[in-house]
Amino acid sequence: MSTKRDGNIIQLEDGWNNVIRQGVSRRSESAASSSSRALHGSLPPPSSDQYYFRTCYDMCTQRSPYNWSRDLYTRHGETIQTYLRSTVLPALQDKTGQGGTILLNELKHRWSNHQIMNKWLKKFFTYLDRYYVKHHSLPTLEQAGLQHFKTEIYQNSKENTTTAIISLIDEEREGEIIDKTLVKSIVELYESMGMGSLDSYTNDLEQPLLESTRAYYGRKREDWIARDSTPDYLIKAEKALGEEKTRVVEYLNPATEPKIRRVVEDEILQKVQMNLLEKEGSGCSVLLANDKTEDLQRMFQLFSRLDSGLQPMANIVEKFITSQGNTCIDKRQARLDSGEKDKNDDPEFVKSLIDLHEKYLGVIRETFSNHHLFGKALKNSFEEIVNNDVGQFSNAELMSTFCDRILKSGGEKLSETEVEQSLDRIVQLFSFLTDKDMFAEIYRNQLAKRLLNQRSASDDAEKAMIAKLKVQCGTQFTSKMEGMLNDLAVGSEQKSEFDQRMEQQETKLSFGVQVLTIGNWPSYKAPEVALPPQMRKCMELFKEWHDAKHQKRRLTWVHSLGNATVRATYGKKSYDLQVTTLQAVVLNAFNDGKTYGFTELKEKLNLDDITLKPLMHSLSCGKHKVVTKSPASNKIQSTDSFSPNAKFTCNMRKIRIPVASVESSHNKSRVEEDRSVAIEAAIVRIMKARKTLPHQQLVAEVLSQLAFFKPQPRVIKKRIEALIDREYLERSSENTQQYNVSLLGFIEI
Amino acid sequence: MWGSPSSSNSSSRRKGVSSSRRGGSSSSGINESKAEKLFEDLCDDDDNAASMEGEILCGVVDDNNNMIATTSSTGICKLCEQLSMDPLEDVRVLVLLWKLGANKKPAEIQKEEWMEGCHKLQVDSIDKFRKLVPGLDTGFLDREEFSDFYKFCFQFNRAGTHKTLEKDLVVALLKMCLVGGRITAHRLDTFCEFLETTKDEGYSKITLDQWRSFLDFSYEYPDAKALKAYDEGMSAWPVLMDEYVEYMENLEKKK
Repeated sequence: MSTKRDGNIIQLEDGWNNVIRQGVSRRSESAASSSSRALHGSLPPPSSDQYYFRTCYDMCTQRSPYNWSRDLYTRHGETIQTYLRSTVLPALQDKTGQGGTILLNELKHRWSNHQIMNKWLKKFFTYLDRYYVKHHSLPTLEQAGLQHFKTEIYQNSKENTTTAIISLIDEEREGEIIDKTLVKSIVELYESMGMGSLDSYTNDLEQPLLESTRAYYGRKREDWIARDSTPDYLIKAEKALGEEKTRVVEYLNPATEPKIRRVVEDEILQKVQMNLLEKEGSGCSVLLANDKTEDLQRMFQLFSRLDSGLQPMANIVEKFITSQGNTCIDKRQARLDSGEKDKNDDPEFVKSLIDLHEKYLGVIRETFSNHHLFGKALKNSFEEIVNNDVGQFSNAELMSTFCDRILKSGGEKLSETEVEQSLDRIVQLFSFLTDKDMFAEIYRNQLAKRLLNQRSASDDAEKAMIAKLKVQCGTQFTSKMEGMLNDLAVGSEQKSEFDQRMEQQETKLSFGVQVLTIGNWPSYKAPEVALPPQMRKCMELFKEWHDAKHQKRRLTWVHSLGNATVRATYGKKSYDLQVTTLQAVVLNAFNDGKTYGFTELKEKLNLDDITLKPLMHSLSCGKHKVVTKSPASNKIQSTDSFSPNAKFTCNMRKIRIPVASVESSHNKSRVEEDRSVAIEAAIVRIMKARKTLPHQQLVAEVLSQLAFFKPQPRVIKKRIEALIDREYLERSSENTQQYNVSLLGFIEI
Repeated sequence: MWGSPSSSNSSSRRKGVSSSRRGGSSSSGINESKAEKLFEDLCDDDDNAASMEGEILCGVVDDNNNMIATTSSTGICKLCEQLSMDPLEDVRVLVLLWKLGANKKPAEIQKEEWMEGCHKLQVDSIDKFRKLVPGLDTGFLDREEFSDFYKFCFQFNRAGTHKTLEKDLVVALLKMCLVGGRITAHRLDTFCEFLETTKDEGYSKITLDQWRSFLDFSYEYPDAKALKAYDEGMSAWPVLMDEYVEYMENLEKKK
């Protein structure tokens, strides 16, 4: 062995053969033995490393032409190459065909060897790495070593390796236990072969794995879908997805996770989505019908993974809820068909709708995590259900009467919280109505009746309901209702003042007046009945007092609404008859004890047939016949005559004599009129702002501005024509389908 | 029909054209005093403007404003007689009145309108009027002119201050002025049938908008084939047209 110390040049072959090679072969020998102990155990002492390093150093720093850097670099590569070719590759090829695990183990062993050898060689030739490599921009020794492995070993065995891994994975999928550590090491090999990128792994392992995964789950899917019910299938799908996710964590590269997930989702969910949803006997609607919360939840979570995977499910939910609603409607129809009286009150039906809504609100909350698509499905279906009227009375009316029951005294017996809850729920149902203005009209009429007849159970409840409607629809919607409540509140404030005034006079009648602001209240007939003088005096008193307080207001008396208590004495007994003002006026007419014909009474009292007939009926044909009719019958004829019933008697002292109400429950034509006005106002507003618009756009904007009802396009068109006629609009001369605003009509404003 | 209320008299005096060029021929080519005399001859003797109601194109009212159908020609009827045109049947009467410019009030032509019209048409005698008659056919009018004339037909036949025409009058007028190829006979017939048979109270009176739209609509959808392309959802045509299309569709279905 010649060293530099001797002052002699180291010749290439000398240095190489005598020094380096020995070191290399010793390393590879120890590496060749399969036991890992050999690799780490019997290592030559560090001092000899120094020797090899020194030799290399010397050989690389000798002056030209004895600078062996290039040769050493080349021979480093060749050494590895040769070793791989002559030793490693044959060993591997030998193991091929003996089963995947054996091959993989061998590969793992060889790879690990190589890594160690690479490391040692690098140590020997470090000097090259520092200067020669850098100077010539060559791959580092490590990179070179790796590249050789890749070229010689990896490229030749990657296909078999991949196949081996994939079949192991398939085994594991079938439930077998496999050597995960082994697979993980091989995966690391692939990763390293990318030399800084993940390309080798991606192309040589991941890609084939994805394809085989696709094939695998394709087969599974066909198998499952043929045999399993939807819930069972979904359980398997969920399990499979979980397993694949774990697999990646355990021995694959993280980049694979989303890719494999998408493949599996595609194969086992996307491709059979409609099949699963619509499966007979176990599809989505069946699950809904049987309240299978857990299965639906699983279905929801699994389909959430897919792009637009929830819309089909939401559609089925919508259809289902609609059909449930239609069942409620059909039940109502059936009751009507079987002879039940068609009234404006059907609490059973309304409650069934409320319950249905509550149920599915809960389902959407619990099972579908309040996802907006399902909320929309519920809304769509209820919009269809709630506007589907059967029978004479609209659902709007049924709902309003439902409220009436809750709000009037003597109606449902509910606690305060129950009232609050019921009102909340009915307002939710109300929000789906198209004809909200119709509801408002009916509600106002019923509210008026409650208020005027003192049949309102709780002022707070009335206010609460109005407040809820206001939140839904805005101030304009509830202004009249609030006005009504306000009138009463003001009235009761002023009542004590007027009472004092009354006390100053000496009237035998106790007398109270409720002042209503016209416009807030429904319109009532105000018959100019001929009143007895005592009544007239009271009225004049009030008018005087009122006019002094409010000069600008004009009073109109509505006697058809008032109530009275009449002390009636029949023989020795006295009774307190609770009647309406008009009934009281009629009774008073009989105070002279005479008999009156119907026509006579009409003239005397200045009432028409429509008003007088029910009055006479109530007094002479009802339960308490305080007046005798002749001839006796149940129908009032204009030829009848009446006299006080001398024989009248009753156990009770206080007697209420009801009279049939003449007022209809609500005024349909008023709503129609209001609608025409609202449509025209919207058109004018829009055209003033836009100056010119095509027809379709105008119609669309009008519809968007009308919150409380939805008119047909022809109805809107008629209003447009009316406005053209009144010269607020004109047709554009350039375009027959466009309108311009016309200033002519606005001059009057 | 022949209105010479005081206002128009004063305005005709105010108007430079008639008063300053009295007597003799003027630079416009007609003899104004002759034209004026013609007007006065044809006018009602007692100078009362006759108001009109209903379908009759000439008539006169009595003190109680009751309509008297008169066989003795007054005003327009007199002129028609002299020109051998039947005012109830002959659309050329309307064309003449339109050309003369009888726009101010329905069913009458006022003096200044008459004078201006005579200037425009270069007439000052019955003979010259007679020479005009052959050219009064609606076929001579182009599309724009006809549309204007068509509007005039409606406006002229209104009663007093009313803005609408009775349905029956509308049908009669349509048949009178739209005959001759302007629109297809099929369209005219079916539309009149539709009007006559519809039970909708709203159509007992027809507005100007509806009247004019019918013509424009028929230009755009001339025949049954074109009607198939009609889309109610997109259209701004009056509801009357929508219902006519529906009527035609139902007729088709019945076949």
